[in-house]
Amino acid sequence: MSFEPKIVGFLCNWCSYTGADLAGTSRIDYAPNVRIIRVMCCARIDPTFVLKALRDGADGVLICGCHPGDCHYSEGNYKMMRRYPLLKKLLADFGIQEARVRLEWVSASEGQRFADLVNDMTQRVRELGPSPVRMAQATDMAER
Amino acid sequence: MAENKLQIALYWGAACGGCDVAVLDTNEFILDIAAVADIRMWPIATDGKYSDVEAMEDGELDLTIFNGGVRNSENEQIARLLRKKSKMLVAFGACAYMGGIPGLANLTSRDKILDTVYVHNPSIENGGHIVPQPQSRLDGKVLDLPRFYRRVYRLDHVVDVDYYLPGCPPQPGQVKAVILAIVKGELPAKGSVVGASEVALCEDCPRTKGEKKIKRFYRPWEIMADPETCLLEQGILCCGVATRSGCGVRCPNSGIPCRGCYGPLPGVIDQGAKLASAVASIIDSKDPAEIETILEGLPDFTGFAYRYGVASSLLQRSYRQ
Amino acid sequence: MEERKIGVYVCNCGSNIAKMVDCDEVCAYAAQQPGVTTVKSYKYMCSNPGQEMIIADIKADGLDRVVVAACSPRMHEPTFRKALQTAGLNPYFLEMANIREQCSWVHDERNAATEKARALTLGAIRRVTYHQPLERRSVDMCPNVLVIGGGMVGMTAALELADGGSRVYLVERQNCLGGNVARVDLTAPYLDSARDMITALITRTKEHPLIEVLLNSEVNSLEGFVGNFKTVVETIWGDQAATNQYEVGNVVVATGYQEFDASRVTHYGYGKLPNVLTSFEFETMLRAGRVETKEGKSPQYVAIIHCVGSRSKEFHTYCSRVCCMTALKYAREVKSAVPDCYVSDIYVDMHAFGKGHEDFYRRGSEAKTLFLMYAKNDHPVIRKAGPKDDCEMLIEVNEKLSREVIEIPADLVILMVGMESRKDSEAVARLVNISRDKDGWFIESHPKLDPVATTTDGIYIAGACAAPKDIPDSVAQARAAAGRILARTIRGTIDIDAVFAEIDEDKCSGCRVCNELCPYSAIDFNVDKKRSNVISALCKACGACVAACPSGAITARHFTDEQIFAQIEGVLA
Repeated sequence: MSFEPKIVGFLCNWCSYTGADLAGTSRIDYAPNVRIIRVMCCARIDPTFVLKALRDGADGVLICGCHPGDCHYSEGNYKMMRRYPLLKKLLADFGIQEARVRLEWVSASEGQRFADLVNDMTQRVRELGPSPVRMAQATDMAER
Repeated sequence: MAENKLQIALYWGAACGGCDVAVLDTNEFILDIAAVADIRMWPIATDGKYSDVEAMEDGELDLTIFNGGVRNSENEQIARLLRKKSKMLVAFGACAYMGGIPGLANLTSRDKILDTVYVHNPSIENGGHIVPQPQSRLDGKVLDLPRFYRRVYRLDHVVDVDYYLPGCPPQPGQVKAVILAIVKGELPAKGSVVGASEVALCEDCPRTKGEKKIKRFYRPWEIMADPETCLLEQGILCCGVATRSGCGVRCPNSGIPCRGCYGPLPGVIDQGAKLASAVASIIDSKDPAEIETILEGLPDFTGFAYRYGVASSLLQRSYRQ
Repeated sequence: MEERKIGVYVCNCGSNIAKMVDCDEVCAYAAQQPGVTTVKSYKYMCSNPGQEMIIADIKADGLDRVVVAACSPRMHEPTFRKALQTAGLNPYFLEMANIREQCSWVHDERNAATEKARALTLGAIRRVTYHQPLERRSVDMCPNVLVIGGGMVGMTAALELADGGSRVYLVERQNCLGGNVARVDLTAPYLDSARDMITALITRTKEHPLIEVLLNSEVNSLEGFVGNFKTVVETIWGDQAATNQYEVGNVVVATGYQEFDASRVTHYGYGKLPNVLTSFEFETMLRAGRVETKEGKSPQYVAIIHCVGSRSKEFHTYCSRVCCMTALKYAREVKSAVPDCYVSDIYVDMHAFGKGHEDFYRRGSEAKTLFLMYAKNDHPVIRKAGPKDDCEMLIEVNEKLSREVIEIPADLVILMVGMESRKDSEAVARLVNISRDKDGWFIESHPKLDPVATTTDGIYIAGACAAPKDIPDSVAQARAAAGRILARTIRGTIDIDAVFAEIDEDKCSGCRVCNELCPYSAIDFNVDKKRSNVISALCKACGACVAACPSGAITARHFTDEQIFAQIEGVLA
């Protein structure tokens, strides 16, 4: 059985979660690998969530928010825009491959875009293989 | 060995010696300790062999203060030994509590470390690429050396810890307070952090705090920082916002930014991630390119944010293949 | 962690979920989870029997948390929250797992879909364990209303509201009321006079004691929340400016549309050939009571071209809805002004969807209008006629039904330019905090079930600003928005969500990292206590401060770290 990645998606209620729902009402087919967690705004997303997801076994983490300028809370996505590059630096220094964590802007009317995004990310993470964090859980404590 | 004297041991794992100096820095208080306690082992200051400890009954020691991280098999072996023989084990200092500065080694690998130290560095001629082995044969005899682990562990990764006393090193006043509390039996629930505040450094820092909006980060040597104003507001990265107080704010009071050695606030499960969230959020820009430029003013954010806490972070080490 | 009694309900949604997700397996998986005491699967959880089942179980089994794995919470969270409330359980002890819109409807392999449904359900089970009881707050509802836009829709809404007793501030940026309908002569299909309609509205609006008309005005800012908005309106006339602040409870956005710029379509020669007009330019001519060329002559041939800027890959892909009937109207009016004129109607499809439209179409063809069909994206081309031709221009049409290339003479060409979102719609959207779709139209709360509300409570949209539409639909929306607002105002108070951020004073160090992060200025700093504080009435619960607080001193109600960590663990287990 080939490897199927488990990806956690953090989606903001007003734009991206609604866009994902629209993909549903439009019956657009996409890969089943993303498990979505709803937050009100992507500004709620603490880099800690991303690291925790990786620690708990996620092969990838997808963060979605409204397009810059369209945030329901006016400026929430700018906070994520600022945190993301710093998070990327941390992840790079911890040896986590870049394609595993991704930030994308998805609006409430972009159901197709969301589906395409999930398919693309799933494929990229599939190619990278299982997360090294997950693979190391067993051995790290057992093998000094 | 008097009957009703406290039996204590102080030991160091992967350590620099600073924590032991911090105990000594309690000055006359040491004499008070010596009056009420038998120090059965303290490598930096007194006698005490491993065999002495092995000969003890389980729980014979009332208290072991263990500083330093777990870097090799000796550290772990003695940690387990001392745990067995002690009623109470305190993880003393940032290394025992969080992995400390040795924990930064987790961002590289054992092979790279051994290579840099023993093979590829400017002051060594080691064409044979010889690195220490756990077992060597010499003149027909076998020499066992502690095995250098693949990564650094915290003390509580290998044994059950009763209390954590943070700091690099813990401030002598806190050391005294904690030891007194132990002697008097006035301690909080097992597993607590002691000798530190429950609030971040900013509460005790005398610098004024105003609007936090950063357009540029500066290295501490790049500007003449105003001594009265918050360092972070001036663009100098200071870990104080995300670090427990209790150290007396020694660093910002001396004009240098806090380095985070007292560890994260209660409930924060990854100090570096939280610092990243806070620092990035206050960047004063809405343009991705400008944000990248501003972040270039933080050349080694990971090293700064996780200076003491790599081994305590959610990811714990680098996974670079 | 105390013992929980969690009830898990897996909805089949008919076959919508059950077709792709094995609901029994999800139930079996849920039943194994610690803390789960009741697990049921049902055809339609949102139905009365479904809700009653939850209510009965809460009472009988002493449930203290409920998970409903079903459609999107954006659909039915309020429904199930109400069920919990009816049963005497705090409504926030509910968590939904979205196994329809985000699972059964988008995956085509049953095993994978079921596994994902299990993971999402487990995430909900783990999360709900940490839910806290929250109480909704009740705030006063100011009965005043702000209406942005003084056209047909704005005035209709304002009058409806004012007749209902609300004080209305009607803000119009131009120096007169009337909007786009005031530029129109007659309306299709009954050929009513737009001028009469609009004049009547303008008169009533100006005379209504409860409507304050603010011409030459724009809304500068809108702050607050539903029932409690403060707005600043700036009025400029000549070189004088004045600002006024008003308190309102709700807002109707009726900013309308602008017409497509025909000069963007080079093959129609607009701007170069003098007798190629847009529909609005033709209306001006009709209102002056004449149909003639630029040179003042009666045209012998008139051609009307549909879908200019609409239904096009190059410009806008959507249909502008009103142009087909308007084109037929022009055919009638030309024939009526110049009976001997040959009228050609060059169209793509005839969208005659509404009441009276088909009859109007049929009468148009009976009046000997020549209808020529062209294929979308295979448009006609207009060129200047030669000296030997008896007309000004020639239009070459790839006529689709006859499959012939037909050359049509024309002295006057009317381009049916489509509707597009106004240039300032982005600024308006930001001002009132609503979203726009890819074409710039304002997005409604639900395209079918909630067409005049938006995702921002208290902000309503009506008319063409939400999408191209004709006068009957626009007026219906104007009245709908007014009705919605009056229904709320009647109660005097409004319940707003209990979800906001809170700062734990004992944990706050006074670092002030959070202070500048709030776009609603909901965080202030107490200089004496040296602590930051969230003003809960202003907090919209975005969570920006929560994530940024380096002490973890700020909690997001209903979106706490604990809850989200648990959900992460659950979806990955």
